[in-house]
Amino acid sequence: MKLYEYVIRRLILAVFVLLSVSIIVFWLLRGPLPPETALAPYITPKMGPLEKLQLARTLGVATASCPSFSAFTSRAAGCIVPLYQQYFSWLWTALHGNFGYTFLPGLAGTGTTTWQVFSGRFGYTAELAIGGSVLTILIALPLGILSATHNNKVPDHLSRLFALLGYSVPIFVLGYLFQLVFGLYITVPLNGHALGLLPISGPLTTNCAICVANPGTVHSYTGAPLFDGLLSGNPAYFWDSLVALFLPAFTLAVTTIAALTRVLRSSMLEALRQDYVLLARSKGLRERVVIYRHALRNALLPAVTIAGLIVATLFGGVVLIEIVFAWPGIGAAAVSASLNFDVNFLELYILVTALILVVTNLFVDIIYAKLDPRIRY
Amino acid sequence: MDIEEQKRRRSELRYVLHLLRRNPLVLLGSALAIGSVLLALVSPLLVPANAWKISNFEIQNCWNNSLFNWHIANIATCPAGKVYPLGTDFYGRDLWSMIVVSLPTDLTIAFEIVGAAFIIGVTLGAVAAYAGGIIDEGVLRVTDIFFAFPVLSFAIVLATVVERTFFWLTVAVLVIWWPTYVRLSRSQILGEKEKPYVEALRAMGAGRIRIIFRHLIPNSIYPVLVQATLDVGGVILTFAGLMFLGFSPLPQIPELGNLVNIGISKSSFVTAPWVVIFPGLAILLIALGFNLLGDGIRDILDPRLRR
Amino acid sequence: MTTTPNQSRGAEALRISNLRLIFHTYAGDVKALDGIELDVSKGEILGLVGESGCGKSVTALAIAGLLPENAEVISGSVLVDGRDLLHMDKNEVRRARSKDIAFVFQDPMTYLNPVISIGSQLTETLTDDRKTHRSMLLETKARELDARIRADPSDSKAVAEKARIGMPDAKLGGREAKRLARLKAIEYLKLVRLPEPERIFKMYPFELSGGMRQRVMIAMALMRDPKVLLADEITTALDVTVQAQILELLKVLRDEIDAAIVLITHDLAIVSEVCDRVAVMYAGNIVEVSSVEELFANPQHPYTRGLMAAIPRPDRASIKLESIAGSVPDLIFPPSGCRFHPRCPKAFDRCTQVKPPMVETKKGHEVACLLYGG
Repeated sequence: MKLYEYVIRRLILAVFVLLSVSIIVFWLLRGPLPPETALAPYITPKMGPLEKLQLARTLGVATASCPSFSAFTSRAAGCIVPLYQQYFSWLWTALHGNFGYTFLPGLAGTGTTTWQVFSGRFGYTAELAIGGSVLTILIALPLGILSATHNNKVPDHLSRLFALLGYSVPIFVLGYLFQLVFGLYITVPLNGHALGLLPISGPLTTNCAICVANPGTVHSYTGAPLFDGLLSGNPAYFWDSLVALFLPAFTLAVTTIAALTRVLRSSMLEALRQDYVLLARSKGLRERVVIYRHALRNALLPAVTIAGLIVATLFGGVVLIEIVFAWPGIGAAAVSASLNFDVNFLELYILVTALILVVTNLFVDIIYAKLDPRIRY
Repeated sequence: MDIEEQKRRRSELRYVLHLLRRNPLVLLGSALAIGSVLLALVSPLLVPANAWKISNFEIQNCWNNSLFNWHIANIATCPAGKVYPLGTDFYGRDLWSMIVVSLPTDLTIAFEIVGAAFIIGVTLGAVAAYAGGIIDEGVLRVTDIFFAFPVLSFAIVLATVVERTFFWLTVAVLVIWWPTYVRLSRSQILGEKEKPYVEALRAMGAGRIRIIFRHLIPNSIYPVLVQATLDVGGVILTFAGLMFLGFSPLPQIPELGNLVNIGISKSSFVTAPWVVIFPGLAILLIALGFNLLGDGIRDILDPRLRR
Repeated sequence: MTTTPNQSRGAEALRISNLRLIFHTYAGDVKALDGIELDVSKGEILGLVGESGCGKSVTALAIAGLLPENAEVISGSVLVDGRDLLHMDKNEVRRARSKDIAFVFQDPMTYLNPVISIGSQLTETLTDDRKTHRSMLLETKARELDARIRADPSDSKAVAEKARIGMPDAKLGGREAKRLARLKAIEYLKLVRLPEPERIFKMYPFELSGGMRQRVMIAMALMRDPKVLLADEITTALDVTVQAQILELLKVLRDEIDAAIVLITHDLAIVSEVCDRVAVMYAGNIVEVSSVEELFANPQHPYTRGLMAAIPRPDRASIKLESIAGSVPDLIFPPSGCRFHPRCPKAFDRCTQVKPPMVETKKGHEVACLLYGG
């Protein structure tokens, strides 16, 4: 199979997966829950039962022949539009970018349609996820290689212990611990009172020892303060965002650093055991060349395959981190939505995260196919 | 036992000891894992099972363990008399007792989830691998769909719709967890079924069920067992995370993640950090123990197979 | 392919003296090599024969300094071109591996890196270490210029460049080195009789057959103009017809290069085909050394005799195949005295007490057996 044939096949599979995801989520959120949950974001206190019934009909959940609102809420026969029909109408409006209304508060300046709230907050989550990914690669790569080349010696034991701890720690507790240490315990006396070294909540703080006091404003290009600062050419803003991003991103990355280090270590060990490494050494190549050109290139292949898993873990962990660090992203919003039965937001949330995951996996598989000349899809 | 047998056993033992000596962490891990299970088992003896229902708001969020000083300005000190080794929580309950009472809850749920996921996943994966064709394709596509959900996100969606009871929350996490075992078991069986002994069994007239369950699965189960051990830690972390986010049935429920939740939402973390840190430490130690144990088993089994 | 092959023939390229080596394992100390004595001259092929586990590969690895971490050299020296590799620092040994010693291994599938092209793997030694291989690369350049001058005698640029090469400060840039290394690689791919060498240069190992890959490995080894070539079971993983081709190739190459070749094998038939001299190894010791004809005509050590008797021969079809009684000894607790005595049909008391020294029974024929002296 040629590369483009493989890509086409995977794209079709991706569409199938995403459709299935949307069906499953829709069915889960609309089926078991009481039928009036779909109305919640639109209901104003003054609405009477007749208006509510009309609303239900407009939203496509109650049939035209439904006699009353109470019949609707008690699921009387013939009153509820069949779920598959509801799904198709939802799908149709969704494909036009309309995901209904949510009663999650938008951030200052954004409206209350689901799409607006979601896209307003998405930038912050993206910032966290990207920061976490970058930190993961920056730390796990050298750590894994070091561990493998000094197998069973002190650096190996230390990095394995660190990886193991990272894998076992509940990151929501770790987040609070970091806040305690960097925000409260480690302080720098400044302007008369002690300030914590790093900011401990929010994506932009000016209240920390190494922050800039008045960073100014930026134009909102992406919705993420870090990139907005970069694109607007405001280095102080950029710096403050970066400093605020560090602790949450690092806490988020702890689990994935552990996972990647572990995989890299074992695949490097495997690669170093191979015969071609012996041949490379027998040719008198320098050890560094043997490790990086011969062993690592083979060791990266299995590591690349867990990249998809890493992204999935990051997206899951983001929810916890956003709560702990008061980060206004979509994860924290999803938790709120869940506790308040806001189905519109949850549907969009799951759809977007599934989309990102599927695309990442596809991307990773393509990279793998390019890296390994043996694979001719 | 003849001499050959004795020699073999002795050299195997020597090999295992050699591995343990090179890997002291494995011993530590086993101790932690087994220790936590033992502690959970004797928990009813140490702390009465209903202790979590009793609140005493007069001594809430206080600390009087002189061995550790938090260096925080407005710490509440518990009245003298009884020393609370880990302080008290929002409801005035001894935190150490709460942690001990939580252990059986957390561990039971974790074992249930991992056990069920293991059984369902292994069976489904083995059947799919052996049957091949459309069954295999179908099972693969289904797991593809499940892998498109990040674990916690899907858990949140599921937790929205199910009843807020431990049973349903367990089911929610289980639903997300089993696809990994399907894939793992499937790849193991795919490799195993090509081995010559399988053809011999078929020639002898052995039925498919017998081949799968009596031969294929037991011979290739080790990596899956390793994964299951490692997953105990992972499940505890996920479930505690879910509880932390606020999906717990009742606020006072003794579950480690929930304890962290009340530490954040009902107390101030800044004036009473122990309410968050100690349950977190407990989670860490349990997960660490099972992770080390799983790693150790993998190390012992794996190179031996290759030797 | 080098300057004057016949000039340096006969000179000693490799001499191993009293090499003793142990491996530290969890089960105990394995006394792998027990005083190896070996010498190989330039342009000669020495066969190193023995059963699996007798230490032949270990000897080769010891020569190249590629022993694993738990190996300890107790005594002895390995002289390549007069320099003792066991007593040089790691960097110098590495450089010696780069230039003087070349290995060809058993299974070309696993010994070639699957994700790097053949060409890169061939040239990387030369391009990475330009200083060490400078003269070789410049020589290639000189020959290239010679060819140009021959084609067009009025090419003054080529003449000028050629004159500059001889100067001590002649420059060799990275890209130039790469280009020259590629030329040399293709030259050697032709030498090992591979078709379409330019195409093969760009291919990956999995695209070639086993025999072709083995030829690539041989080309890789010879390209560096080594003084010692160690060939470890190079035909074992190939099927019989390909085996024959590789051996033919070896015979042809032996005349064209002047490296000392050590051919490690367990197959006496290969030895009789290709080698000049043979060394028989058993349980970490060299037990007999002689020329090939002499060994087959007149095997002296009981172990060698046993090996010969175990070879199925068409002219002795009616005689029962004999095998050597017993099994390979445990080298953690090796037999005392002569390590072969538990399996030796001619053993006597002294064999359990004294390790037999190498004794020359005839010119060029040495045996380590108390039957012949010591």
